[in-house]
Amino acid sequence: MINILVAGEGGQGVQSIAKIINTSVDESSKESCYLPSFGVEQRGGVSLAFLRIDAKKILYPRFDKADIIAALCSRSIDSIKDYIKDDTFLIYDGSIVENSVLDQIKPKVKKYINILANNIAIKKYSVKSANMLMLGGVVAQLIDVNLSIIENNIKNEFKDKIAENPEIGTMNINAFHEGLNIAKSFDQSSEELVGKPAHEIKTEYKDDKKSWIRFPEYCKGCGLCLVRCPVQALHFSKEVGFLGNPLPEIDIDKCITCGQCEQICPDGAIKVEKS
Amino acid sequence: MAEAAFPKVWKKSSKPHKFCPGCGQALALKILGYAIDELGIQNKMVYGCDIGCSLLTWDMFDVDTVQTHHGRVLPTMVGFKLAKPEAIVIAFMGDGGGYAIGAQHLINSAMRNDKVTVILINNANYAMTGGQMAPTTLIAEKTTTTPLGRKIENYGGPIHGPEMLSKIVSDDAYLARTISTNIEDCKEKIKKAFQNQIDSHGFSFVEILSMCPVNWHTNTQESLDFCEKEMVKIFPLGEFND
Repeated sequence: MINILVAGEGGQGVQSIAKIINTSVDESSKESCYLPSFGVEQRGGVSLAFLRIDAKKILYPRFDKADIIAALCSRSIDSIKDYIKDDTFLIYDGSIVENSVLDQIKPKVKKYINILANNIAIKKYSVKSANMLMLGGVVAQLIDVNLSIIENNIKNEFKDKIAENPEIGTMNINAFHEGLNIAKSFDQSSEELVGKPAHEIKTEYKDDKKSWIRFPEYCKGCGLCLVRCPVQALHFSKEVGFLGNPLPEIDIDKCITCGQCEQICPDGAIKVEKS
Repeated sequence: MAEAAFPKVWKKSSKPHKFCPGCGQALALKILGYAIDELGIQNKMVYGCDIGCSLLTWDMFDVDTVQTHHGRVLPTMVGFKLAKPEAIVIAFMGDGGGYAIGAQHLINSAMRNDKVTVILINNANYAMTGGQMAPTTLIAEKTTTTPLGRKIENYGGPIHGPEMLSKIVSDDAYLARTISTNIEDCKEKIKKAFQNQIDSHGFSFVEILSMCPVNWHTNTQESLDFCEKEMVKIFPLGEFND
């Protein structure tokens, strides 16, 4: 069973991606079921498509965690982040999805592909073909798919537009193949999406006798450590934590390693060590 | 290399937890985590939490957890204990769940001397819903439903849980009140409460005084002062069933 989630702004072609895969799988021996989830996207919501492929009969294509996720815009990251599990494959459009937004899901994602779909589509095809590049990225993760069936279904999906301008058909099919090739030759080690888990991100202040460690991904800036420090060694710095809160900083020379800041911290964001 | 600075029993994947900055309940949960670590009961225990801010703990610990609504966590955990007496069960609730909507369960469970551990957080208001008056709200304390301060002639005075239960429990029950900002005292009393259950003596109950800076509208120092000076005057710390 494979669960696929496609997410993007309304008008980006999210539902077309899912529809093309859905019909292509239906024609082969496997079962496939597709559920569009949209409604307010015309007023600015994110459009989602849930797609499930299975060898046996599918009752309903809703799921909690997805195997493959395609993210076509920055805002979709917020919608998809709860669907990420350990081995989820993320395909995102690096020309649209902002790095600051990707930071939110970095610790969760282990496998991913970045396709600069929008940039490539504007340069080589048309901006409307960007979703076909993403389709290629998703199809590259599926085994046992017949590419000629997908090509036929692309032509079928856009048959009204192709009737007006026959070039649209070849353009979309070329874009699909380019996406497929990018996905197949993508070198994950060249990009830095995979982030560290929160407990490995830390700032250390130390001298030869002691070290004071702060975990910025845990600190909420409540200031209990500042108030409890008996020697006033702590003060707020200009750095900010994950809530946009000020982060405490230590004057390590004043520290007497009493450990009161570590004990009082409700978030486990401070550690004091004697060496 | 330094590991994360919180108890082993805390689930790493759900941190940072969802409590507000400076929350005393989160501090109490950290102390509770260290108590569990020190007793080594992580794999023997079942954790139950009630509704309110305490429901935010449903993914706090790496132990089997059940979450119930409106004060029903205590009878649920009593049921679990009856079905599986070797399990160590803990019912974690707030002052609303324990002293208001679930007060019947607290009183009856104490009377029956059920062999469970109850941890109750007292922050003098209903925090999750926006700081309304709770049974534990102090006289003259302002909340969103008592904007002129709680008046004794309208609402009565704050409830004293452990003192009340001390009149009905049997001799081997353990009743205590502690404060989350006194880490050593708090941990010691939680461990005693667990030990009382492990030794199958009977009901054990710990009320923990806690801070709620968001709903009290106080800064760090004021929150600590209110908790450690004002609340302690009304709710004296100590053990109540010697």
